[in-house]
Amino acid sequence: MRLEIIIASFISDLKTFVRSKGTLFWTLLFPVMLILIFGAIFSGMDETEIEIQVLDLDNSQFSYQLLDVFNETGLIEVIKAEISTEDKVLSYIQDNDLKRFLVIPHGYGETLIPPVDPNASVNLTFYYDQSEQNSNQIIRNVISNVIQSMNMGFAGGSNVIGIDDVKTISGDFGFIDFFLPGMIGFTIMQTCIYGSLERNTKFRKDGILRKLLTTPITRSEWIFSKMLFQLFLSFLSAILIIIIGILIFGLNINITFLMIVIVIATSFLFTGMGMVIGRFVKDEESASMAGGAVTFPMMFLAGTFFELEMMPEFLQTFARILPLYYVNEGLRNAMIYLKTEDAIYHSLIVLIFAAVFFIGGILLTKWRED
Amino acid sequence: MDEKNVKCPQCGKIITCTGNPGEIVNVTCPSCNTLGKVTFDRVISIENAAIEVHNLRKEYGDLIAVNNISFAVRKGEVFAFLGPNGAGKTTTVEMIESIRETTNGEIKIFDKVIKTSFDEVKELIGILPQEFHSFERLTVRETLEFFSKLFKRRANIDDILTGMDLEDQKDKLYMNLSGGLKQRVGVAIALVNNPEIVFLDEPTTGLDPKARREVWEFIANLRNQGKTVFLTTHYMEEAEYLADHIAIIHKGNIIAEGTLDELINKYGQGTILHVRNCKDRNASNILKENDFDVSISGDSDLAIKIDNKERVLEILSLLRHECIEYDSIDIRRSNLEEVFLHLTGARLSEEI
Ligand SMILES: Nc1ncnc2c1ncn2[C@@H]1O[C@H](COP(=O)(O)OP(=O)(O)OP(=O)(O)O)[C@@H](O)[C@H]1O
Ligand SMILES: [Mg+2]
Repeated sequence: MRLEIIIASFISDLKTFVRSKGTLFWTLLFPVMLILIFGAIFSGMDETEIEIQVLDLDNSQFSYQLLDVFNETGLIEVIKAEISTEDKVLSYIQDNDLKRFLVIPHGYGETLIPPVDPNASVNLTFYYDQSEQNSNQIIRNVISNVIQSMNMGFAGGSNVIGIDDVKTISGDFGFIDFFLPGMIGFTIMQTCIYGSLERNTKFRKDGILRKLLTTPITRSEWIFSKMLFQLFLSFLSAILIIIIGILIFGLNINITFLMIVIVIATSFLFTGMGMVIGRFVKDEESASMAGGAVTFPMMFLAGTFFELEMMPEFLQTFARILPLYYVNEGLRNAMIYLKTEDAIYHSLIVLIFAAVFFIGGILLTKWRED
Repeated sequence: MDEKNVKCPQCGKIITCTGNPGEIVNVTCPSCNTLGKVTFDRVISIENAAIEVHNLRKEYGDLIAVNNISFAVRKGEVFAFLGPNGAGKTTTVEMIESIRETTNGEIKIFDKVIKTSFDEVKELIGILPQEFHSFERLTVRETLEFFSKLFKRRANIDDILTGMDLEDQKDKLYMNLSGGLKQRVGVAIALVNNPEIVFLDEPTTGLDPKARREVWEFIANLRNQGKTVFLTTHYMEEAEYLADHIAIIHKGNIIAEGTLDELINKYGQGTILHVRNCKDRNASNILKENDFDVSISGDSDLAIKIDNKERVLEILSLLRHECIEYDSIDIRRSNLEEVFLHLTGARLSEEI
């Protein structure tokens, strides 16, 4: 294998990719858009007013007033917590799956009895779950604003009332945690199948494959260089999606060895699948139809957008023969839920699918004309 | 002994017959007893041939696309493979380029049997496949650079750009070029390894006459650089203009092969002088008395066969001397079109 040829091919692919607005859109922008849209829809769906449980240790006129102000904003609905001491707060949050929690300390009211000492300080404690960053951001802003106006009213602007932030670890994962790995699997599937189909139908029709047969490039050099570029694209979109997940949704994503294994195997899997499809279609149009016929049902049924448990039994059984299902599950377990054993199991299945489709694809591809 | 399959025109049975190259064999159909003749192509053996094809055959299921053809291409010539759509041109050229499997036969390029040694030959040939489209979003220069990297043997890319007059286009994306320019880039790609033999499969199909002429100039230039060019085309003028040797292929058979002059002399009607709208009823008799081969075409046109330039003057003075009136005179030489019509007409009755 000659490195020079592989580099030349990779650079040509890269130039073509950067110059093709359509491909750029589908590989990079489209998944990001989907994540943002679905993220926005699902993060605000169950709550118009965001609920927050409050443990009021002060029980004074002042603390009641504070809670009233919160309620009056129309953005927050205050609910009284069913515990009475602060030492059990964390386990209470955990047990009740609370996304956020506020504690008003004992002595809050006392500090605010005039004349207020401008150097005194009393801090509320705001517990919040990182995975719900969107709604918690809103709550945090509301609380800050309320406190600021309290400080103006009671202490002439001195920061007497403050907030301590405490992150809680969420036991329950949000929709975005579920959706994001699925989006990685889906995007890799799309770019690999369509990339592979283009090479096996358009390049054949345009005589590029025939031309290459008469040049000294070998079949393995050709396949290797194309695979290298597909892997590059897979990692590029995976990284982009992960960055969106961390920056916008504050997800706790782990880049693990198994995740990398799954991304690589998935790229081989769907490139191979594209080759298999390419063997049975004649022209580009039927290729893109066949591509859609394979990717579309797989996208909906393999648990990209919603969990399998939401579907009827027979569809669930069907989903379990779809390779994308194992990709999605494997990625979730490897990068979000950190269930290593499940992740190993899923990546093994993805590896087997990859081997079958990739080798099958190479064997089925008609390299020479007959 | 060569082998050839022919189809009986009466009952459609496929008959296998054998004969020596150059031989014409009488065949009787075993099922309906129709008589017919089958021609076996002469093997053209040339010292230092660039390409030698012997008994090449290709079947697609029942269809015999190429029927045991043999020919040779001399080094440094433009060899045109001329034939109508579906004649078997692409099938033949792609078997020579090792892109398609052969059903039978042997192909040598520079004395190497390509079935076993095609890899050695790759560096020496450059091809333009039929209806070739290169990578859409690479510039002309990037395209040439990419293909050039595939070879050990490399031509200077600037020289190719200059030679194909593509310097002004070199930074344009391939997808934005006109059809004529795309074909020129296709030819340029075939040159990146400075090949000895260039294969061009219908390089001007679909181009307007001006763009076609431009491509012709570049192909003529290749010959001037000493390259061998294997050209397939269904344009008679293209073969007439460019080719040193022409093989006419029809339904998978080479029905004639030679230089343009050879083909016209052998199968054409030679040169004909037409006297248009000749009023004198007696004119043709007068000419015939003077040993001219005259035929009357249409109402009052005369067609006189000319085998010698001198006789043109003779005709003119005869017409003047006899005070024969006419509208105009023109002289036409036979072309490949006529050769082809003549051959395909004749051929049909020859093969059973
Ligand atoms: N892959 C194939 N499978 C079956 N039949 C084929 C195949 N390729 C060509 N043919 C048939 O073989 C015959 C010769 O085709 P070929 O493409 O060689 O002709 P051609 O002379 O190049 O014609 P054109 O001028 O249209 O390019 C045609 O009848 C064609 O339909
Ligand atoms: Mg053809």
